[in-house]
Amino acid sequence: MKKFLTVLLVGCILFTACDRKQKQSENGVVTITFWHSFVASTILALEDLISQFEKEHPGIKINAQYVPTGDALIQKLITAIQSKTAPDISWIHSDFLADLVDADAIYEMAHFINGENGLSQEELSDIYPALMQYASLRKKIYSIPMEATNLALIYNKDLLRKAGYDAERPPQTWEELKEYALTLSEDYNHDGNYDQIGFFVPVYPASGPLSGWMMWQWVPYLWQAGGYIVNEAQTKVLYNSEAGVQALTLWKEIYNSLNLSSFTVDYDVAFASQRVAMSMDGPWNLPRFNKIMKNIDWAFAPLPEGPKKRATVVGGEYLVIFKQSPHPDESWAFIKWIIRPDVQARWAMKSGYLPVRQSVKSIPEFARYLEENPNFKVFVDQMEVAQAQRPLDNFGLQITRHIAEAIEAATLGGMDPQEALNRSAQKSNKLLKSVQNNK
Amino acid sequence: MYIFMNQKDYLKQQHRKNFITGILFLTPTLVIFSMFILFPVLFSFFLSFHKWNMFSSSQSFIGFANYQRLLTDPEFWQVLKQTIMYTLGTVPLNMVIALFLAMMLNKKIKGKSFLRTAFFTPVIISPVAAALIWRWIYDPNFGLLNYATGLFGIPPVNWLNDSRAAMAALIIMGVWKTLGINMVLFSAGLQGIPDTYYEAAEMDGAGRWSKFWNITLPMLTPTTFFIMIMSMISSFQVFDIVYVLTSGGPMGSTKVMVFYMYEYAFKFFEMGYASAVAYIFFAMLAILTLLQVKYMRTRSGYEGI
Repeated sequence: MKKFLTVLLVGCILFTACDRKQKQSENGVVTITFWHSFVASTILALEDLISQFEKEHPGIKINAQYVPTGDALIQKLITAIQSKTAPDISWIHSDFLADLVDADAIYEMAHFINGENGLSQEELSDIYPALMQYASLRKKIYSIPMEATNLALIYNKDLLRKAGYDAERPPQTWEELKEYALTLSEDYNHDGNYDQIGFFVPVYPASGPLSGWMMWQWVPYLWQAGGYIVNEAQTKVLYNSEAGVQALTLWKEIYNSLNLSSFTVDYDVAFASQRVAMSMDGPWNLPRFNKIMKNIDWAFAPLPEGPKKRATVVGGEYLVIFKQSPHPDESWAFIKWIIRPDVQARWAMKSGYLPVRQSVKSIPEFARYLEENPNFKVFVDQMEVAQAQRPLDNFGLQITRHIAEAIEAATLGGMDPQEALNRSAQKSNKLLKSVQNNK
Repeated sequence: MYIFMNQKDYLKQQHRKNFITGILFLTPTLVIFSMFILFPVLFSFFLSFHKWNMFSSSQSFIGFANYQRLLTDPEFWQVLKQTIMYTLGTVPLNMVIALFLAMMLNKKIKGKSFLRTAFFTPVIISPVAAALIWRWIYDPNFGLLNYATGLFGIPPVNWLNDSRAAMAALIIMGVWKTLGINMVLFSAGLQGIPDTYYEAAEMDGAGRWSKFWNITLPMLTPTTFFIMIMSMISSFQVFDIVYVLTSGGPMGSTKVMVFYMYEYAFKFFEMGYASAVAYIFFAMLAILTLLQVKYMRTRSGYEGI
């Protein structure tokens, strides 16, 4: 009996261990494991995408596995890499690109792009340059964008009308943004706090979960003022320049004049209940907003133009191929297929994300879709002025944090913007210097 | 079977058999302990001399660089100061209130068991749920706390967004959360004091205060000492309520040591640095506890720990 149990136990362990290997070579069909964290509303679109791919490639099966939240995904990836059970493809935030590259866990995309089933130079340059910049590290491509996002202004048309503005003409410049923000704010009960906020400035604790989100929304203003996060050689940060001060001063002025530190309602809830007139958001919320905000008249518009130029920030999801994958070429086939213009058009229309290739706009079906969905068109048009927050080759996570700390200190903490930025820049430069010294 | 053995050998064998049986009984615990406690403890000591981002398969040795960087990081000292502030804020307040409640509930009053349950409930509520409730209580516009203080004409405080108030908010919640367990411990301690002492004191004409100072407090010393050490350790290690209530903000004013360590380990993936923080912190706690034990021993002759 005892012996039998032992054999059974060992058998179970062996079986579980072999399970993975066997799955991948069932009667000649290769299974590619793909980890992602798409929100629930996108998963249907993803399933549609995958079934289309499998129809066109009978020899490849895609096993998409959903991991809730990007943070959990990265934890899971760490465990998987260490235990040699990494997926073939995963969706990652480029914040973690540097760590993955340093650990030699992922392929450099040149390996596939220059290969037999590669991409031509035209195809490569058809992808928005900002996205390719975001997808690269130290001037090498390590990931491929699956879709794009950017940041636009969302505003409540009714509230604009009520305040006497033209509802089709949201603020176009920083000056107008400030003016609109103040005019659209109302203190109904005269307690000294605004009950209706003209423009929601997204300030969150720099050490909290929304820190990166805050920083992401501030960067376009830095660029609009002509600033940069870091110098070309990545030896010194530049966000504490004059442009940085201007951008942070804009946020600080609006934040202070609307007394936003006592405004504690989540912005999207507040917007849906008409307590916020203008704010910023991305295209991934379009399907949800279309559903939940039927009772109010709202629209997206490009971000106002800054003193130097127009700019917005790109986000999006990026696919990497792991070196542990037994089927890198099939994995690449999937990635290459996903960025095909017609697939991108189909995926964008179903998921609400933006296509990664510029030529998608000339597909008639997609052009028609844009005409029918003006809010979505705002985002697609904005891709022309979209810039990438990264690549930061080293200490990207910390430098992002430092910028967030400066934003928090200047707005909530009341510190002088120049001083707040200088303090953070000092910390960032110390880290960048340590990279230089180690070289 | 053992007839041919002499007494000594027999005992020796029995002893060995007992030993093996003992080890076998302990195996499950030993395995779990070494896998999930002993190994991580030793491994993080190893890591504290290395640079590792968790993704790579090897760690690169950098000697004392992590420790050096830590001791020269102004943020580390800031965080240490805030952790001490939190501890000094919660522990004494907590103990005074817990003792007061325990003494009240030790009397014959109506609804005693209900009150005891009510005060103990916060201890068993999940810290995350509790912190979310307190976020509402502290809300500057709709919060209960500002409403209550407003009734007395106190101007509203922006509890969680004001760097001067946030630590106080954290301390208030911390006291509320851990009060119950200390109250129960004090209750047990109070019940262990024989009534005869009080009777004798009353015969001698001692008043309430005199009984409290001369009987209750000295007799409670072992309990007080135990509670003090345990509360200090747990206050120094506070994390969950900070994470949910303030996320270390505003402007890092409520960032405590474990939060700082967590950020480096799981936000910035600097495992080596985070391990060095853990070891420095461990050393500080160990020294503090040893000092307390030594001091209390000489003061009270208490040998309990």
